[in-house]
Amino acid sequence: MPIANRSANQSTRPEGQSALAIDPIDTQSLQEVGIFVNGNHRSGTFLLRDNEAVCATTGQEELEMLPIAEALARYRWLREKYWWRAVTPDTDDVTARIAADQEPRGLFVRVKQGARVSLPCQAAMYVASNDTIQIAHNVMIIEDDAELTMITGCATRHGLTAGRHWAVTESYIGRNAVLTSTMVHSWGKDVIVRPRAGTVVEAGGRYISNYVSLHPGASIESNPKTWLNGVGASASYVSVILGSPGSITDIGGEITLNADDTSAEISQRGVSTGGKIYQRGFLVGNARGRAHVNCAGMLLDSSKEGLITSTPGLKAVSPDATLSHEASIGRIAADQVAYLQARGLTEEDAISMIIRGFLSANIVGLGPELDARIDEIAALASAAAHT
Amino acid sequence: MANVLEIHDLHASADGEEVLSGVSLDIPDGEVHALLGPNGSGKTSLIMTIMGYPAYKITSGQIIFAGHDITAMGLTERARLGLGISHQRPPTVAGVKLRQVLDYALGENPELTGEFEQLVKQAKMQEFLDRDVNAGLSGGEIKRSEILQLLITRPRLVMLDEPDSGVDIEALDVVGAMLNTLFARDPDHPVKRRSGLVITHTGHILQYVDTDKAHILMNGKIGCSGNSRLVFQTVCNSGYEECVRCILRQEEEA
Repeated sequence: MPIANRSANQSTRPEGQSALAIDPIDTQSLQEVGIFVNGNHRSGTFLLRDNEAVCATTGQEELEMLPIAEALARYRWLREKYWWRAVTPDTDDVTARIAADQEPRGLFVRVKQGARVSLPCQAAMYVASNDTIQIAHNVMIIEDDAELTMITGCATRHGLTAGRHWAVTESYIGRNAVLTSTMVHSWGKDVIVRPRAGTVVEAGGRYISNYVSLHPGASIESNPKTWLNGVGASASYVSVILGSPGSITDIGGEITLNADDTSAEISQRGVSTGGKIYQRGFLVGNARGRAHVNCAGMLLDSSKEGLITSTPGLKAVSPDATLSHEASIGRIAADQVAYLQARGLTEEDAISMIIRGFLSANIVGLGPELDARIDEIAALASAAAHT
Repeated sequence: MANVLEIHDLHASADGEEVLSGVSLDIPDGEVHALLGPNGSGKTSLIMTIMGYPAYKITSGQIIFAGHDITAMGLTERARLGLGISHQRPPTVAGVKLRQVLDYALGENPELTGEFEQLVKQAKMQEFLDRDVNAGLSGGEIKRSEILQLLITRPRLVMLDEPDSGVDIEALDVVGAMLNTLFARDPDHPVKRRSGLVITHTGHILQYVDTDKAHILMNGKIGCSGNSRLVFQTVCNSGYEECVRCILRQEEEA
């Protein structure tokens, strides 16, 4: 569903209506975070520009994408059963501020029971004006036996430096449903980003969350939480972060095993070229299940301004919970770079290949979207390390 | 025949210690030479220095390869000019798959794409293509991986660091067959083949590779050079002690 050819002022609109002018510079910024303005190869599109939902369309009945205000007005059950159930308003200042919003802004996604949406849908949280405080409250519901791949791109317009992005995302994954979420961030250098997320997974459900931070802005703090509430539910978090100079990236993740035969994996990968990266991952075993958290960092910074801390944590309440963790931080080994150079690779290509390998090591099934972003991080980090 | 490699009075150091103390060596184009010497004599240091590994600093002397003075040239440039190396103990490169390295090389030699499967099969490396480079490989597997990379990158001169060490007899046949391919005669020029410098301790590999000449490296310099079989027989019969005495005699006579 193309963003162009849509009316600018309608929140949802059928195909073929008047064009929404997307500045080429915006098209480029969005494309860098996986959002295709032409909507090719996507099952649906949502675009929040600053605080205006300028597009919400889908190409199939089983997949609903609406501005959240419209969804709240349409579905009473949304407020009764889901609204502020996976994240609470009193969590912190960010959630309190979003809860106080009189006109909720954000995205509602619903995949109806049994529907398997073959193409990914895409959502853009886009800050186009300087000093904007973008506020979003998103709710995603994947009903029983349904399946969705979601690509969320969060970015600022090229050249824009200052702004804030505060968001709450609540996700509900039904029995035997699957949500694969890939989120890519690319922010202006002084942007402050505070996403808050909670996900509930029912029996046999699966939640796969991939997060890639290409340009972290001034500061990102995020600690998404997932509760595996049904037997056999599973979740995995993969975070791939580039910590560029002057940035602070604090990425956590908590997964709680509340039912038997649940499983979880958290994989954090960070490369610092001068930024501060705080990696966290916390697993709680309240029932029989297996979970592992792995935090790995690569420090390429020679200015001594960058740092990486890795803090995996475990809490077992049930004796039947098998939890494990590992953490490592290192630098690129010169002998490995030289080895690849002896095969004809340039130093930059060798470093890039090693960083690429580090970022994706032991992470299976990344998919082409994430592969492309990881290549991009590897190239950026390699260029920074090479200079 | 013109020399593909000329080394003139090469001195080099690693970790602040002199490891090469005036090596001079010529390899004519199309010849394969063996390099012998006791442990610590500088054999690995010599080929790592020729290859351009940054840990080995040239303090004086000159290296000419294919008519180019490569003394101050970087590692990548030397590799792209046609130097190749098979390491004795290569590092594990976590996260980087063997296939990626070979693909990169294939990008440089696209005409080899058709032969790729056959070369991989000959090396018995099919199951290792999607594993991290050198991770958990046995001695024989490392040699096969290293030589496979050389077969794909197709250097003009290859330097092999003990291709027969840590390889059992059965695996040696595979390695030997790969070396036959590596040093096969050029179909367009029946007497031409790839040039090489082969370090060997045991001499087993000489059953598979015809060498034109052998050199003995002692204390960071070439002690003597001569017919490969004769040199190796002398070392087998008398050990390197005889070489030490011989060198001392030569120095006294000089």
